[in-house]
Amino acid sequence: MKKGLFVCLYGVLFTASVYLYSHVYSRPAVEDAGRLLPAQVKTIERADGEQTLKKIVQEANRTGTQLTIAGMQHSQGGQTYYPGAVMIDMKPFNNVIDFDPEEKWITVQSGATWDDIQRYINPYGLSVKVMQSQNIFTVGGSLSVNVHGRDIRNEALITTVKSFRLLKPDGTIIRVSREENAEWFPYVIGGYGLFGIILDATLSLTEDELYQKRTRELDYRDYTRYFGQQVKENEAVKMHLARISVAPSSFLRSMYVTDYIKAQNQDMLTSYKELKEERIVALPKLFLGLSRYSEWGKETFWDIQKQYMLQEDGSLESRNNVMRSETDFMDYESGERTEVLQEYFIPTDEFASYIDDMRNLLEKKDKFNLLNITIRYVEKNDQAVLSYAKEDMFALVLLINQGRSKQEVEQSKAVIQEMIDVTLNHRGSYYLPYYSFPTKEQLRKAYPLAPAFFKKKQEMDPKKRFTNYFYEEYQQ
Amino acid sequence: MNYRRFVTSQSLVLMAGSMIFPFYVLLLRNVGDSYSQFGWAYGLFALTSALAYPVIGKAADRLGDRVLLIFYSMAMAVLLLFFPLATSVWQVYGLQVCMGVLGAVQKNTEKAALARHADQGQAGADIGRYHFWTSIAAAAAVIFTGYLVDFLTIATIFYLASLMYVMSGFIIWKEPKTG
Repeated sequence: MKKGLFVCLYGVLFTASVYLYSHVYSRPAVEDAGRLLPAQVKTIERADGEQTLKKIVQEANRTGTQLTIAGMQHSQGGQTYYPGAVMIDMKPFNNVIDFDPEEKWITVQSGATWDDIQRYINPYGLSVKVMQSQNIFTVGGSLSVNVHGRDIRNEALITTVKSFRLLKPDGTIIRVSREENAEWFPYVIGGYGLFGIILDATLSLTEDELYQKRTRELDYRDYTRYFGQQVKENEAVKMHLARISVAPSSFLRSMYVTDYIKAQNQDMLTSYKELKEERIVALPKLFLGLSRYSEWGKETFWDIQKQYMLQEDGSLESRNNVMRSETDFMDYESGERTEVLQEYFIPTDEFASYIDDMRNLLEKKDKFNLLNITIRYVEKNDQAVLSYAKEDMFALVLLINQGRSKQEVEQSKAVIQEMIDVTLNHRGSYYLPYYSFPTKEQLRKAYPLAPAFFKKKQEMDPKKRFTNYFYEEYQQ
Repeated sequence: MNYRRFVTSQSLVLMAGSMIFPFYVLLLRNVGDSYSQFGWAYGLFALTSALAYPVIGKAADRLGDRVLLIFYSMAMAVLLLFFPLATSVWQVYGLQVCMGVLGAVQKNTEKAALARHADQGQAGADIGRYHFWTSIAAAAAVIFTGYLVDFLTIATIFYLASLMYVMSGFIIWKEPKTG
């Protein structure tokens, strides 16, 4: 009797639990590197082949489901997912399809990472032309945000794309290049996954080279002149990177720069060719950790970073190794806080006055925890419709530590909107893969072609098969 | 209580336990998000166990091992049904507290039952044999589950383990009280 009662009770509970779980709880929760927008998506589908992808799009058309496309999910404003939509995980779709070392190009599936490509082409003495400073990202994700990097001679990623294949919202596949189906080209690249799925892309490559580092410390007022004369004018300089201090005693004044100059003796490349792997990062991680919590930490981090960089003067490194810098030390695990990025583009001749205005603004914002600013250069390029480099620009990447509560997000938002106003006043623009702090007006100002972009999106994908937080936030 | 049944039942308990424990971390990973929360979750478990032992020890002598072992199995089976539904770290803490009490019931009663059964002369050998069989079951379960997680969700593992607890309970429940 007792047994029967237990069996009945247990049966009811078991059924209830399974029912609740499968109907309410099992929707996968997703968030990106910004960790500010957790959302429940419909399902996560693995892209394990072209046929699978085709089927996913066809099925979505049949059932009226919306799709989003995800790579490493390092964008921070929900560009890779949306509540209730199917999220396609492109990471398994990562094979090299074709490679011509003579003609220097490679065709890869869009889930391949830069690291995959580097490992494949390094033995042939070849190198990627444009990518981020880190190699962890997928090619598809990088194309969708039209990245730029440390290379100062090759503009944005779009310039290195020969062609790509696109799985359109209607489920058909086309080849897109500057000649073939050319109307898609400037929209898909830098298109934030809104025009279909990039299946594979053919990218032009360049020779791997040996670089000698030149590091200098300088005042922010001398930077534009230094860059013009010593970097831009000197054909031997291939890559460039700078940092400006966020430590209180030298806040937005002190800088150091690293130039990568083609080494005189390229024969030595063979002994520097081997790809470096992530090293033990406990020390930089510790100092970055300290700088999160105290001004003393920020001073120490800046001093140590600077000393380390300055002593690197004269050292040699292969191009491929420069393009695979460490990221592990930035991993940040905290329940209540997160780290967000901002990137601002400023015409080179506006730099000093811009920095003065930013300092004036930020010195009043005690609670705003700015951890790092790196500066790179990107040449004017307007091939993509959503192009950020309207002139020759310095690109400032800001790393900000902030709380995840609603109130703290609002606090950051206020400061960030003010910073973007300052940026726009100096003919600048900002980068779009981050959290939706900017207002719609700010988007229009920074990207005058944004209305045309959204109009084209509606034309090419009238049923809104592809969407994401960015689109839903800014489309109107 | 029939010793064979006791060993079979406890082997199942250990199997179910080792199915969920290592992979339980995966659930915590989905729900909580800092190492201090891991610490708290396991700390609460250990702490409630500690506080429960003296009470349970007395209860075991009064109610008998069999009743307590059945209670443990069935309570675990029901409790596990709540795990897939936990969405916040506080719910996980709550479940950990219940698990702490139940864990103490199982450990204490298992040892008491062993002690009552063991022959004074060769208690070491008896208990060694008992641990051999139950640990073999646990090892097999943990290895097998590793593969299972690849194909199933973590939730399924909890449901499977729950069913195993029910079985372990029924194995002892079936026999007449006189055993």
